[in-house]
Amino acid sequence: MVSSISLSIDSDLDKVSLLARAVRALCEDFLSPDDQDAVELSLVEAINNVIKHGYQGKPGKDVQVAVGLQSDQVVIDIIDHASPMEPQLLEQPAADPFSFDETELADIPESGMGLALIRMNMDEVQYLSSETENRLRMVKRIERPLP
Amino acid sequence: MLSTDLRNNVLVVRVAEKRIDASKAPAFKDEMTKCIDSGQNQIVLDLSSVDFIDSSGLGALVSCLKRLGPRGGLAVAGATGAVSRLFTLTRMDRVFALHATVDSAVEQLSA
Repeated sequence: MVSSISLSIDSDLDKVSLLARAVRALCEDFLSPDDQDAVELSLVEAINNVIKHGYQGKPGKDVQVAVGLQSDQVVIDIIDHASPMEPQLLEQPAADPFSFDETELADIPESGMGLALIRMNMDEVQYLSSETENRLRMVKRIERPLP
Repeated sequence: MLSTDLRNNVLVVRVAEKRIDASKAPAFKDEMTKCIDSGQNQIVLDLSSVDFIDSSGLGALVSCLKRLGPRGGLAVAGATGAVSRLFTLTRMDRVFALHATVDSAVEQLSA
């Protein structure tokens, strides 16, 4: 079983939830509710990053999402045409933003959590940048592959 | 987006949105800031209608906590599913007292 579908929105934060709910629904038959949560959160964080940082909040730019449903994994590509993200952001993750000291109010993070959440929630994360596009590939393995 | 109710000197703030994401976080933060700046420093945030929070929403909650300062209290009630999972995953469950019900959160803050 291999099937795939492409969806797209323009760079408007109000539209991210539509896409997230659509992708979650696609994963319903393959992933546990916990893994659906993981995929939905990662997708939202990735698209928010594209809109806020890649396109710097400008409207009218395109964000494409390709979802591949394979027998043993769900592969989600987020494709944009913004300036590429610095690759070291993914390759050499900064210190774990969640290892803060909860007794020090000032240490508790308010931002910079998106990429860390994606890495924690997905099994594989890859960033490919070419002259024509940037592609963030996120893979979630299916725990009990369907017969 | 928010409705409020004062109980035992604790402000119960109910979030009427299903999602606190990057598109809603700024408005959420503004409305919460108004509650805090009006002098409330013990707040229970009722998230029982919320089924999704992203890192922008979580950041807005942390920002409210900082605005309340060390003498303020911010407890969370009714977080389930993906919302409760996010608190655990980010270890924010050490920062916000999580309660199953508004009643138990109010009880803790008014004690």
